[in-house]
Amino acid sequence: MQSLNFEPVLTGKKEAALRTDVRRFLANQGTFPPGEVIDSWSVCNPEFSRLLAAEGWLGMTWPTEYGGGGRSYLERYVVIEELLAAGAPVGAHWVADRQSGPLLLRFGTEEQRQYFLPKIIRGECFFAIGMSEANSGSDLASIKTRAERVEGGWLVNGSKIWTSWAHVCQQMITLCRTEPPSDNRHAGLSQFIINLDHEGITMNPIKNMAGEEHFNEIFFDNVFVPNTRVIGEINQGWQQVMAELAFERSGPERFLSSYQLLEAAIHILREKGLQQHASAIIGQFTARLMVLRQMSISVANQLQQGKLPVNEASVVKDLGTSFEQELPDALRLVLSTEARLDAKQGVERLLSDAILKAPSFSLRGGTREILRGIIARGLGLR
Amino acid sequence: MSELVKLVEESATRLFKGFSESDTHDGMEAGVFPTELWADFLADGWLRTTLTEENDGAGLGLEGGYVLMRLAGYYATPLPIMEPLLSLYILSHADLPITDELFIPVVLDNNPSNDQAVSLSGVPWARDAAGLVVVFTVNGNTHVNTVRREHYSVETAQNMAGEPRDNVELSVNPLTGAVRLNGGITAAQVSSWLALGNAVMTAGALQRVLERTVEYATERSQFGRQIGKFQAVQQQLAVQAELTSASNCAVEAAIGHIGTPQEWELIACAKITTAEAAGYSAKTAHAVHAAIGFTHEYPLQLSTRRLWSWRDEYGNEHEWSIRLGDYCLNLESDGLWPWLTTQTGE
Repeated sequence: MQSLNFEPVLTGKKEAALRTDVRRFLANQGTFPPGEVIDSWSVCNPEFSRLLAAEGWLGMTWPTEYGGGGRSYLERYVVIEELLAAGAPVGAHWVADRQSGPLLLRFGTEEQRQYFLPKIIRGECFFAIGMSEANSGSDLASIKTRAERVEGGWLVNGSKIWTSWAHVCQQMITLCRTEPPSDNRHAGLSQFIINLDHEGITMNPIKNMAGEEHFNEIFFDNVFVPNTRVIGEINQGWQQVMAELAFERSGPERFLSSYQLLEAAIHILREKGLQQHASAIIGQFTARLMVLRQMSISVANQLQQGKLPVNEASVVKDLGTSFEQELPDALRLVLSTEARLDAKQGVERLLSDAILKAPSFSLRGGTREILRGIIARGLGLR
Repeated sequence: MSELVKLVEESATRLFKGFSESDTHDGMEAGVFPTELWADFLADGWLRTTLTEENDGAGLGLEGGYVLMRLAGYYATPLPIMEPLLSLYILSHADLPITDELFIPVVLDNNPSNDQAVSLSGVPWARDAAGLVVVFTVNGNTHVNTVRREHYSVETAQNMAGEPRDNVELSVNPLTGAVRLNGGITAAQVSSWLALGNAVMTAGALQRVLERTVEYATERSQFGRQIGKFQAVQQQLAVQAELTSASNCAVEAAIGHIGTPQEWELIACAKITTAEAAGYSAKTAHAVHAAIGFTHEYPLQLSTRRLWSWRDEYGNEHEWSIRLGDYCLNLESDGLWPWLTTQTGE
């Protein structure tokens, strides 16, 4: 049985100074629209992303030779948690900054890094995630989209689905089958960077039940991808995707999606004099949040040390998404109000958004059951 | 964790492992004090772990003490560990003699008066102790006194794990001869340290229960395969592992914040986290072990009965949640996030 490591980490003066900078920046932005503060990392605002880029807050941890900040994971952590807690619209660059860039740094070619990283850092190039397909959700290895070798590159045919903001993003890292399925289900998969403006690509938006339209279904009809846009090694896609997950699963976005509701609830409870009624719930959820934050920072620090704490990241995501899903359910019992879909402001709107968006929290980036399976494997049960 | 603390853990583990392999649990539950174990504990000098070298201690402070408490929780040690360690630490911050005897720390809610004898409930090991270390506040100042065994009467009682939790009545007023507690230590702080010790022991027990349960799930077969191969079992054990690791992180963070302005809040989080995990862990462990885990002979019950007892002692998770929630609701407007993010030593 591997033990899970969450040694607490203390951040220091450097991080504190940066935090002050982010708060000053946010104070200058004014308040964000109430309808966009829940799950704000799914809210796409390219203008806002470019403001962050101007501050040097995209690609913060990447080497300076590509225009990156050369800063630590803990510093990046401070910036993103401040933005998320404030409900800032960070969705446009989120995937590129969180996982696409780090993936290229880990597995990409020098040409790819030099071409893409500076663009990401400037807020000019956003990435979508091309993993799920209509018949491949949790069972990612069963994907059918295929890439066939042709002169000078690959020809991609198939489709991807649930790709957030693909209609805004310029690029998509697309997982394709490059060899027919074999006994080793994880073999024969490869990752490609596909330019979403390319001929042969069509997109259909999918509206979600919370009224948002960030999902898409994307079809590839003989889309040519040059050899220079293969990431890492052909047929090693699965291993590369798994490495990506430690970055994807452990961040503060896994427990802060409904944080703005907690703040609003505290305001209302004080206003209505309902503190006594609610203190147990506020205390319980605050304790969970505090500990989740420590666990998440601990993982960030392990990433900084070059480790790949995939099991720990799964723990943070499962506990974190449970937290952000259960928070609206618990608060609704003490707020003495009803959720309102169309309210322009106030806790009624946040409650509505949080409840309607919450089901996705534990689906995206690996379902609860998949994560628990990974943790069980770490325990030696599989 | 510092290198020194790791060293303590390694060398103390041998001793605590030996404790857990003894047959003294039944004796303890029948009211027999484990004299030999206590003698071993003393002989190795562990009692003075938290004391400075000028007090003939190991100089490891509370952090070192909590390492031993974690082991005591992990091995379900049938011996008072937290109480004497914290007692000596308190005594070393007062002008009172330090002796290698079993003392039990208690914190009084009210000022002691001459009109009414002080009575206390649930005092660990009071019957076997050399005395109590009584901490209380008078006019805003923290006082401490020792009340030796001959100056209190005991009505014995046990928690669900059979550990002594006695009702006590003092026949002296602890105010008489009390001295000031030095180093700015408050009675509330001593209460917090006790709660943290309880949380740390709970975290140790949670780890043991997880290991036992995973081990059992890989040994036991039904329907022709290990029960740990069933997804229904795996999913439950994964959650148990999550809550256990959250508990470990919470207590480590709280220990790291002793003496800082956020000490109390981090201890509250640790207590809430471990107490919540205790219920889930015990329930799941018994579900996975099925009937064998329900027997007296099988050692799982030594840990789970402690989990059920300890989660209530020094305040259950609901009481701590109310305290923490009141605190958060009374922060200045928009104060929650700044408060959450100053916990990191910035």
